[in-house]
Amino acid sequence: MNDAPKIKIRGLNFWYAKRQILEDIRLDIRYRSITSITGPSGQGKSSFLTVFNRLWENIDGARATGRVCMDFGNGFEDINHPDCRLPLLRRRVGMVFQMPNPLPMSIRKNMAFPLTLMGEKNGKTVAAKAETALRQALLWDEIKDRLNEDARALSGGQQQRLCIARSLVLEPQVLLLDEPTSSLDEAAVHEMEKLLLRLKKDRTIILVSHYMDQVRRIADRHLVLRDKKLVSP
Amino acid sequence: MDSGDRAARRLFFSAGLTCALAGLLVLGFMVVLGLPLIRSGMLWDILTGPWSPDHGQFGILAMAVGSVYIAGLSLIIAFPVSLGASLFIEVVRPRGAGRLLEWLVRLMTAIPTVIYGFVGIFLLVPLVRSFSGQGSGLCILTAALMLAVLICPTMILFFSRSIARVPRTWLDAVDAMGGTPYQKVRHIIFPAAWPGIVSGTVLAFGRAVGDTLIALMLGGNAVTLPESVLDSARTLTAHIALVIAADFDSLEFKTIFISGILLYVMTGLGILAARAAEKNL
Repeated sequence: MNDAPKIKIRGLNFWYAKRQILEDIRLDIRYRSITSITGPSGQGKSSFLTVFNRLWENIDGARATGRVCMDFGNGFEDINHPDCRLPLLRRRVGMVFQMPNPLPMSIRKNMAFPLTLMGEKNGKTVAAKAETALRQALLWDEIKDRLNEDARALSGGQQQRLCIARSLVLEPQVLLLDEPTSSLDEAAVHEMEKLLLRLKKDRTIILVSHYMDQVRRIADRHLVLRDKKLVSP
Repeated sequence: MDSGDRAARRLFFSAGLTCALAGLLVLGFMVVLGLPLIRSGMLWDILTGPWSPDHGQFGILAMAVGSVYIAGLSLIIAFPVSLGASLFIEVVRPRGAGRLLEWLVRLMTAIPTVIYGFVGIFLLVPLVRSFSGQGSGLCILTAALMLAVLICPTMILFFSRSIARVPRTWLDAVDAMGGTPYQKVRHIIFPAAWPGIVSGTVLAFGRAVGDTLIALMLGGNAVTLPESVLDSARTLTAHIALVIAADFDSLEFKTIFISGILLYVMTGLGILAARAAEKNL
């Protein structure tokens, strides 16, 4: 059942302090698909993305209620339930930010970092996984001889692909992308879109974008966030 | 470069030069005034001998050791406490309780040292006395504990400032890949905030070595070499204050310049050690 829903959202509300951003959202998101979210800026598209990995908990005054259920192979679990283990959730739900955010260390260490955090100590395993992820992100050939350089020395497009590779190294089943191409030039955008189409073959992708043509090119399903609701255009 | 620019440059340069010169002048002044003693061949005796003015012995070794004990112990106590408090302020509870604690710490910086000394005498001294079961309670441990309280705010404010400067995007990246708060601190916050942590520690060490009143009020002022932290001790600063208050222009008086030079060297070494630690992380 490849197209069975991977994520079910029921009765989701989201607030910034007293201002409500999302109201009573109900949504099913299928496996192996790209779902895109567009909408006027300042309506909470990025906030909506943080609902899937609970990163909103880092934001001052943010609050969410309702159920966000995900199926990682053992039936649906509500990620807002107190039993949900946050580190495990965030390893399964990767996120790529609007601005590339390489950590202040070498490319090699950036790639190894998520694995180190989950306790992987075998150097060979780490190197192999890093290479696989860098190949997936179409970056390997460009940087394979520069692995010990500071990741912040890469170009913007390369940094963003490094960040994608860094989240892929944990083999997440869900990938969240917040306007991942907004800091890239046209050629890099094209590369990125090709990459996303490949990546969706074995995971669920949720993409916030404000380029309608991009959405038309790659999204399987398109939603607009307007007046606290997600609607089809 | 226009003339205003040049004038500003000169102004700032001379301001910087004045600061640097002031520091060197103080050292020069102490060396010049201590010169008769240095020339007299008594320097070695002063640096290593006992303090017994009635027998013509003016050794300050016990005071130097007292300074190292009290300042060192206070740093050992204050460092982990300050690190924990600044992590609480910036990482554990960056809102609410953390801000309240930061406010209280700022308040602490405004309390005059003599008040800390008073509180020490009435609260800490009896406590240490009954805990140790010996002596008057005026000892290295008492002074170091109170000194730790005195230098904590400097360290906490320095530490938390440098922790707050760690870019948000790095922390979000670690959070998004499932890092625990401990891992975030260990792998990102510590390395990034390390220079600030070192600077804060240097500043606090300088304050601890340089503080006079706490050691004077709580240290017990014994002029013998301390053997444990429950022994009384006199620091170089307290020694200078006590000699100045009692004397003028005797040989005894001149030893305070050697004490001053020794203090200068001690803080200088502290700064050099810290710079080395900063580079070698």
